[in-house]
This record gives sequence, structure tokens and C-alpha cells, in this order.
Amino acid sequence: MSNQVTNAPSNSPVKTDQLFINLGPQHPSTHGVLRIGLTIEGEIIIKAVPDVGYLHRGTEKLAEVRGYHHCVVLSDRWDYVSAMPNNLVFCLAAEKLLGVKPPPRADALRVVMCETNRIASHLLFLGTYGIDLGAFTPFLYAFREREMILDLFEMLCGARLTYNYIRLGGVMVDVSPEWTARLKEFVEYFKPRLDEYDTLLTYNPIFMSRTKGVGLISAKEAVDWALSGPNLRGSGVNYDVRKHEPYCGYEQYDFDVPLGETGSCWDRYFCRAQEMRQSLRIIEQALAKLPEGPFMATGVAKIPKPAAGEAYAHVEASRGDLGIYLASDGGISPFRMHVRAPSFANLAILQEKLTGMKISDVIALLGSTDIVLGEVDR
Amino acid sequence: MTNDDLFAKIQARWPAVLKASIPVKDYLTVRIASPDELVPLASFLRDEGFDMLDMLTATDHLGPVNMSGFIRQPNFNPFLPEGATPEIESAASAGYPYRPAMDLLWSFVSVANKNRVIVRLEIARQGVRVPSLTGLFKSADWQERENFDLLGIQYDGHPNLTKILTPDFLQGHPLRKDYVHIKDRFDE
Amino acid sequence: MGMVLEKLPGLTKGLPGGDLVLTSADYLIDLGRRQSLWPMTFGLACCAIEMMASYASRLDFDRFGVIPRASPRQADVMIVSGTVCKKMAEPILEIYHQMPEPRFVISMGSCANCGGPYYDSYSVVKGIDRIVPVDVYIAGCPPRPESLQYAVVKLQEKIAKMSLKKGLATPQQEKGSRDINV
Repeated sequence: MSNQVTNAPSNSPVKTDQLFINLGPQHPSTHGVLRIGLTIEGEIIIKAVPDVGYLHRGTEKLAEVRGYHHCVVLSDRWDYVSAMPNNLVFCLAAEKLLGVKPPPRADALRVVMCETNRIASHLLFLGTYGIDLGAFTPFLYAFREREMILDLFEMLCGARLTYNYIRLGGVMVDVSPEWTARLKEFVEYFKPRLDEYDTLLTYNPIFMSRTKGVGLISAKEAVDWALSGPNLRGSGVNYDVRKHEPYCGYEQYDFDVPLGETGSCWDRYFCRAQEMRQSLRIIEQALAKLPEGPFMATGVAKIPKPAAGEAYAHVEASRGDLGIYLASDGGISPFRMHVRAPSFANLAILQEKLTGMKISDVIALLGSTDIVLGEVDR
Repeated sequence: MTNDDLFAKIQARWPAVLKASIPVKDYLTVRIASPDELVPLASFLRDEGFDMLDMLTATDHLGPVNMSGFIRQPNFNPFLPEGATPEIESAASAGYPYRPAMDLLWSFVSVANKNRVIVRLEIARQGVRVPSLTGLFKSADWQERENFDLLGIQYDGHPNLTKILTPDFLQGHPLRKDYVHIKDRFDE
Repeated sequence: MGMVLEKLPGLTKGLPGGDLVLTSADYLIDLGRRQSLWPMTFGLACCAIEMMASYASRLDFDRFGVIPRASPRQADVMIVSGTVCKKMAEPILEIYHQMPEPRFVISMGSCANCGGPYYDSYSVVKGIDRIVPVDVYIAGCPPRPESLQYAVVKLQEKIAKMSLKKGLATPQQEKGSRDINV
């Protein structure tokens, strides 16, 4: 299909030339500052070189001079679209180093926040993917719901985007009964909206013809390139960190992991749409089982100085498998912090996959990998 | 297969491979002695089902980070009143074995068996070339470039070992502990 | 059109009531310019998500006449939202120069104002005003979408003070970008 160079213009008697074009760093598909150097012949791509680093802020170096609580603030800004899992993964790694165990209420609240943030992040993906492919309306619908979720977060911790809510040892502040009531209301309001998005976008014939059969990634390739998240599950590989290595009590909740079949753009999109439904299930169960008790562990120092050691923690963030490797030398700052960013690995496959595609399919494939440049460049 | 069985299998083929003295918490961490053992061990692990190279990073153990150019407030504890004696001494910890070495880390994941193995290797900070795993795992491509860019580790056999994250005019390898920032035209 | 406007102050100097013509022309020109500011979609980092939220359903930017245009050639104002890294500084300058005059710059968020939480990083420019002249600064990390809309209102007030007598210079071209009394 679109992966094969069938009518290569160089076969015709007319003399053609190759053109080098920059896709980015400023371009309308709102994925951030990514540059892909495309060498094209007609509409077919001959060579694609992704160029990242336009948002490299040096957080790994900055983490070595900030304290542990300050690093949580830095962590918000990696995957800025869904900031709760970033906070969570850093706190999990630091808690492993410090030997602190958060109380069960904090665990349940962390699960609720991460799943709500997953819905918000997938809504943004839905909206921006629609805009990339030319559908302007789903963007407005998706943001209408996303604003409701952001209202909830603002009611809770004061911030709309970079929450800094999940702290070392627990969470920042407890939820009130009004907040849980409003979240339950939102869950009930949101369920029919998912069906609305299905009629708008998922089973839209134009959308399907633009994304089904485009950007096919086989399961073996996906594992070889270390993809994760819906990109990996869209190719049929059943790997979800919440089921693989459960954290924060995920083993108590009953949910499915949606898998795709062929690894096309449509499969990845469909995985994300189904994940929103599963997140609703998890939120309902977590709210029903919310245990009483403290929301923050005792014994976390104001300036934590963990003993020398190393820890690795990973969570299923909205984009994939987000991991933190943390090493401590006993001082007030981490000795080394490395972020295993899912978008970094998901982006690397583009240099191989884009050759032979048409330009319009490039946008479809790039959008379906759902990258966030804050994570890629850190 | 449990971690102990796997470690026994590895030790049977390569007796020089040891369990790391400081394990990464909760995971089987093995330490290899020289860069030559890396590619055979990696392909052995791949045959055993560890088919995803998840993460590849390194730590520079030279000393505490060079603070020049970075801001850390003198009164680090925001809960102390102004003018009170800050409790913070130097950030370096007494007794930590700082040494001029670079400690590399590879993390292999088995998707089917839900398992993870971490391989460590300690090399000198300059002059040692480590074999690249791009022949076995395609995900090593960009991760090795990032390590080269930020830490200066040279990988043998990498198809395109160039800067990926830092700007072209930035000299030096920022994540090294002795990195001092050379002022460029955007600093004043 | 620009040539006519340039000659207008000279022509009306001798006429009785010439100033009245100029102030009316000023008013009309500034009205047209400020009520249809078209920004360039230039989102760099987290602040870009709040910028997108301000274009979206709840906080509609279209009611201010603001429509995002993808190409710098068709844009009036550049909203720099997000951290400016050194690798990105040159593309930003190229894009700024591609915008036709009169052009304005809004610096959104603390990373674009002064480097923000990444002030001491080795690869971050400490504020976009080291590279391009800025008209309005918005504080916040990230600022609320309502702040961005208020900043556009402030920019509209600034544009209302532009006048033909001063050569239709933007206020910052005339007096310098860090002058807060303009």
C-alpha cells in the first residue's frame, strides 16, 4: 500500500529531481518542536532524518543540583500533557531509595489521578490527531471535556497543567467528598461522550481510509525498537506495566488491556480510545474502594538524604513505559537521574518507517505515535 | 524461570560475570568485567527471551557535580526562618567511593516472561570503546547517541554516532561531573 | 498603501484641521490592526497546551478576532510559549524576520520571560527578549489561558496608541522594548 514505491517518478522519461524539505521545527501539527529532514521525490519520501534537541533543557543535569522535592517540580514538565504519571514515577524511584512506603489511601489517590490524567491526555491526542488529518470539530469537543478534567484538578491542587501533586511519601493534599462526588458525576457524563467520538472520528470513513493500512508496524519490529504504550499494543503485543509489574495497588483493579491487530495508525488510535473506557472502569473501582487513613507517610525528611544506592521504577504513563533510574551518593541531590522516556524510543522508529511513504501519510504516522517533545528532549 | 536460575545459566557460560554488589533495587543485576563480553551476553539474553533493550544509560563516578554555573540557594531549607544557620554542608557524602570511572547500564526486558535483567559495566572515563548493540537491538541506536552526546562514551560499530540533543556549538559532554560550561553567544 | 500613509502627515501639515484627519486615520488603522490580530502557531513546550486551550471551546479566542495562522508570512503576532533552547534560538530569529511588519511578540510563561525553572541550565536561553523585542510579558508556569487573553487585550491597548505622526512605528520600535510606560 502506501509503504511501497509503486510509481517511482524516476522510471518515467521526464527528468525529476529530489527535494530536501524541513518538516518543522515550527509546523502546524501541534506536536512541539520536532524537525524531520525529508528528502522527497514527487510525493514519496526517499530519506527521513528526525532531528530532536530543540527542547533540550538539561533536566538530567539540573536534577543533580536540585533537592529531591525540587526534582518533582522538574518532573512535571517532561510529558507536560499528562503530568501526574511523571510525578508518580519519580516519587516511586525516590521512595525505593529512601525506603518509604506510602499509605494505602495515597496509593489509591495516585491511581485515580493517573487514570484521570490518562483520559485528559488521550482527549488531547484525539483532538490534535483530528486536526492533523483535517478534522477540526473533534478538537473542540475533546477540549470541552478536557477542560472539565482540568477544572477538577484545579479544584484539588490549584494547577491546570503541571500539578506537583504526587509527592515523596504520598500525595500533597487529601480529596474532599465534594471532589469525589464531582469526579463520579464527570465519569457518568463522559461515558456517552465516548460513543459520540466514535461516531465523529473512529468510524468516520475518511478517517479510516487515511489511517487504516498506514504505518504498519509488526509486533517483532515494535519490540525490537522498544516501543511501548499504545504504539506497542497496537501491534498486538500484550505489554502493559500496570499488568506486568503492578504498582500502587493496580492488581486490585479489574480492567482490560486493549490490543490492536495489524499495527496500523488506526489500531493505535483505537487502542487509545478504548483505554479511555478502561480508565473510567479503574476510576470507578478506585473511588468505590478508597481506603481511609493518612495520605502522606510519616518520616519523609524535609531535605531527604537517602543512603547510597540505586533504584529503577517504571509506570505506564499515557505515552508508554516511563522509567526513572535514580542513583544516590548520600547527598541532598540525586547523583544521577536518567529518564527512560517512551516518546524518545517511539520516535526513533520513524527514521526507518517513513521511507517510501507519501507526505500526507507522514503526518498520519507522526500523529499516531503521539509524542510529546518535552519527554523526547527532556 | 526465576532470577537465580537465569543467573546460574549466565555464570555457567561466563564465569567472570558476577552479581553486582550494589544491585538496582528489585532487579537481577549482573556485572561484566570487560566490554568484549557484552555482545555475546546480549545475544544470549535475546535467545533466552529478553528481546527488548529498554534502557541504556551511564553514571559518571568522578566526584560530586561541579556546581559552577548552577544555582543552589544558601538557605536550602525553605522552612528555616531567614538568617538562621543553614543545615546544609557540602553536597558530597562522606564515605562514598568516588572514582574516575564510568558505570554503564543496559536493561533487557522479556515481554513474554515479564522479567528484566540489568547488565553493568565499569569502564575508564576516556579512551575505552564499547561495542554497539545496534546490530542486535534497533532501539540501541538513539540511546547510544544520547549517551555519546551527554557523557562522551564511544560506541564501536554505531552507524551514526553524532550529537542528538545538545546544540552543535556546545562543547564538552554536559552530564560529566567535571563539565564546566563554556559561555556561548546566548549567555551574557 | 504604505506609501500613501507615509506621505499623509506631510500633506496634512499645512491644511487647517489636518491633525483631525491624521487622528481619524490613526484610529481606523489601529482599529483594523488590533481587532484582527493573527498569531502564528508557535508552541514550544507546556505553555503551548494552555495556548491551545485558549483557542478551544471554553475560552474561544475567535471572539477577539484572533485566528491562528500557521505561516509566519500571514501572521501579526508571535506568541512565544515555552522554553527557548539555544538550538531553537536561530529558527526563532528566522521566523521573526519572516513576519511582515508591523509585528508584535508576546512572551508567554516564565521560561520565555527569563528562563524560568531552567534558568541555570546549560542549554536554555535566559528569556526570549535576549533575541527578539517583546511587547507583552505573561507570568506563570504555565499561565492560565485567561492570562493569555488578557495579554492580547493589553497588546490591543498598546496598538491603539500607535500613530502616523511617529511613522506608525510600533511602540517598542519607537522607545525600546523594556520601557514599561509605553
